[in-house]
Amino acid sequence: MPREQMPEFSSSVKLKYVKLGFQYLVDHFLSLLLIPIMAIIAIELLRMGPEEILNVWKSLHFDLVYLLCSCFFVIFISSVYFISKPRTVYLVDYCCYKPPVSCRVPFATFMEHSRLILNDKPKSVEFQMRILERSGLGEETCLPPAIHYIPPTPTMDEARSEAQMVIFTAMDDLFKKTDLMPKDIDILIVNCSLFSPTPSLSAMVINKYKLRSNIKSFNLSGMGCSAGLISVDLARDLLQVHPNSNAIIVSTEIITPNYYKGNERAMLLPNCLFRMGSAAILMSNHRSDRWRAKYKLSHLVRTHRGADDKSYYCVYEQEDKDGNIGINLSKDLMAIAGEALKANITTIGPLVLPASEQLLFLLSLIGRKIFNPKWKPYIPDFKLAFEHFCIHAGGRAVIDELQKNLQLSGEHVEASRMTLHRFGNTSSSSLWYELSYIESKGRMRRGDRVWQIAFGSGFKCNSAVWKCNRTIKTPKDGPWSDCIDRYPVFIPEVVKL
Amino acid sequence: MDLLCVLSSLLISYLIFKIWKRIDSKRDQNCYILDYQCHKPSDDRMVSTQFSGEIILRNKHMRLNEYKFLLKAIVSSGIGEQTYAPRLFFEGREECPTQQDALSEMEEFYIDTIKKLLERNKLSPSDIDVLVVNVAMLNSTPSLSARIINHYKMREDIKVFNLTAMGCSASVISVDIVKNIFKTYKNKLALVVTSESLSQNWYNGNNRSMILANCLFRSGGCAVLLTNKRCLSGRAMFKLKCLVRTHHGAREDSYNACVQKEDELGRVGIHLDKTLPKAATRAFVDNLKVITPKILPVTELFRFVLSLLLKKLRGNPSKGSTAVAQAAPKAGINFKTGIDHFCIHTGGKAVIDAIGYSLDLSEYDLEPARMTLHRFGNTSASSLWYVLGYMEAKKRLRRGDRVFMISFGAGFKCNSCVWEVVRDLNVGESLGNVWNHCIDQYPPKSIVNPFLEKYGWIREEDDHDTFKIREEAM
Repeated sequence: MPREQMPEFSSSVKLKYVKLGFQYLVDHFLSLLLIPIMAIIAIELLRMGPEEILNVWKSLHFDLVYLLCSCFFVIFISSVYFISKPRTVYLVDYCCYKPPVSCRVPFATFMEHSRLILNDKPKSVEFQMRILERSGLGEETCLPPAIHYIPPTPTMDEARSEAQMVIFTAMDDLFKKTDLMPKDIDILIVNCSLFSPTPSLSAMVINKYKLRSNIKSFNLSGMGCSAGLISVDLARDLLQVHPNSNAIIVSTEIITPNYYKGNERAMLLPNCLFRMGSAAILMSNHRSDRWRAKYKLSHLVRTHRGADDKSYYCVYEQEDKDGNIGINLSKDLMAIAGEALKANITTIGPLVLPASEQLLFLLSLIGRKIFNPKWKPYIPDFKLAFEHFCIHAGGRAVIDELQKNLQLSGEHVEASRMTLHRFGNTSSSSLWYELSYIESKGRMRRGDRVWQIAFGSGFKCNSAVWKCNRTIKTPKDGPWSDCIDRYPVFIPEVVKL
Repeated sequence: MDLLCVLSSLLISYLIFKIWKRIDSKRDQNCYILDYQCHKPSDDRMVSTQFSGEIILRNKHMRLNEYKFLLKAIVSSGIGEQTYAPRLFFEGREECPTQQDALSEMEEFYIDTIKKLLERNKLSPSDIDVLVVNVAMLNSTPSLSARIINHYKMREDIKVFNLTAMGCSASVISVDIVKNIFKTYKNKLALVVTSESLSQNWYNGNNRSMILANCLFRSGGCAVLLTNKRCLSGRAMFKLKCLVRTHHGAREDSYNACVQKEDELGRVGIHLDKTLPKAATRAFVDNLKVITPKILPVTELFRFVLSLLLKKLRGNPSKGSTAVAQAAPKAGINFKTGIDHFCIHTGGKAVIDAIGYSLDLSEYDLEPARMTLHRFGNTSASSLWYVLGYMEAKKRLRRGDRVFMISFGAGFKCNSCVWEVVRDLNVGESLGNVWNHCIDQYPPKSIVNPFLEKYGWIREEDDHDTFKIREEAM
């Protein structure tokens, strides 16, 4: 995205205050208009004096019938208004999976395994080391037990047991936290991109928790790291149609069957970055949940760039020349992510930006079209629309790129960087780990708006906007509970191994 | 005073307007099938019983008992001589498939069907607002839905969902998603693409419960255009009346009836348990319990309740029940009062027989399902649409008729829905109907397998040591 280059005097303080004043004026336009009107009415009332006011009141002929009718109409209008409003969708609570210490993969372990498995390909081992040094991952990320074997044993049974471990632990925690009975779940959506056995993972969850037979279950797969937000979209659409329902979303990625065993460079990259993790989320549209829910869903925008060939082929599963299946990440990934983000922002901007920013953007657009095409386009300041940002921890480069494009400060992307450091790239569940980080740091206040952005294969960019419903106390449990005090850590460019 | 009157009348008229708008908006929430296109693979992919025998024989791990079992299964399956298999079976590579094979199998299907569907309806791919793809046994990155979007250059703001592993009932689940989206968003066009990927799912071991799946499934698929646009409702074929989903995953025996797992030697296959028919029956009965009150007229329900009460008073258990009756109890209720046509998932001859018995259906009612099983085999989730195509080709569908779709899936699920025919459907219009070329030959005089004689000898062959099947059969 092109940068804004304002002339020299913009850096002066005076202009900053002018901009602030302009923003205030435009954002609160309607209320500012109301003040003079109310002032006039107040002056009139004061002028008339109490006897005249009483006369006016008496002359209105308030019959009982009139009174009753007007009350009835007022009640009727308000009830029709409330019924026809789209149902608010609440995020009641969510739980992220914290892997056991025995699954940790510090750098030393990873490199040793890599040397043993790829012992006849030193160049690939060196490549993996270079990636790991610059990856932004920490020493506490985890891989499933089957991958710890040398060589890894990715059987279907092991994959199923990893799925059971990550999904059931997260769901058990969620049930405890929210006091939800399994019988009360109406909608279940499970998304896991790379592993889909028959019967589906959603059937596995239904079997374990003995869920009702008229449950609406859906199993999405193949949709990449943005599948978590696609599940939220589906849950929202279903909750609009079915009143008083609970929806559980399980977002995970099962690593076991997808460990790349070959030595093609571009396909070794996911081995270094993807780690195990999962999240279970409870959403509902019960009105009674509006007191205990953590967030309200404001907007959700999905953008699919599959029509463009370059975007489509940038994350592609294929076989290498030896027949090993792996995921090929193209070198243009950053540029394509930037393009997808631009397309997504074009749709979400008008929904979330304050009126002042939109007006400035419109003016600069008009200016560019009519006066001088050489003007740089105005990039709206998204920091005015959101207090917190959760950028999918796809990798260090993704976070850097987005920080540059959206002109965010280090603190805004801190949640994403620290999640990448502590948990690695957990695919669709990473957004929830990041949200948990912000809560654990005690930064989430009532009314704060959060923007979750995720990218996925295909190429998709999905974003969701949540509004915090109540100030969240620092959680005592959760994935960050034992280490939040150590964060944020400084992550150097290169960690020498 | 006058001001008050004016204000109140304004208020009243606004309220009436709002109420009318809300009632009117209900009309936009209907789910219509605009058109559908089933896939007929090219003739060089036809697999006869003879060829099925050859493919089975290529599996070197099997012994006599397994061969017997499989050949018996094929011969008595109700599957005919013109079903289709993926290309790699003809190249002898079923035991070492590549991912490219699976993808080309899907490409052949969706490029053909979606193109025909859009051309016939004079729509462009960028008109599609919702895309739901369900292929149970294929999981690729990018997903199949992304492949379709890339091939047809669909819009950026398309709502897309990719379902997998939901078994043979996934078609109805996709329609469920579309139905829910239509209730919230107006004027949308949805495309549901349903198929099954067989290329990578050949089991090359010898575990009895897993080899059966090799012989039952055939290639096929369907693309369905759905809409809730009022302007298109005149051109629509069917309207969705109700949809009911039942999931018995909570029961251990139902959940384990159909599981994909590794055998003792680590080869992946789909294990079909002996308790599968019972699990299916239970799920079916539960599903019927929910959907029957929604689709049958009150008089029939009343009559059924009365007959139940009378039976209870008399205390009369049913005598002389056959094996089929034990597996599928008679419903005791006349479904023909509310339903005119029955679209049964062609899971196999036993499935169709069992449903026919329990719903008390005649041969005429079961004919579409039996003929689909014979001509196209068990194409998994898309089989329902082939059965519908048969009914349409036979000119059975008249305006106002109701079609009942029943499907089963792993997990164990039973999903069903009822469609109402919107306008008389005559063959002349459905140029794309896959039955057009051969409908006059159906129903044939006999659907007994011609190889019954040829492979009948295997029932007598008992000696493992002198078993020399290759020379005999070839």
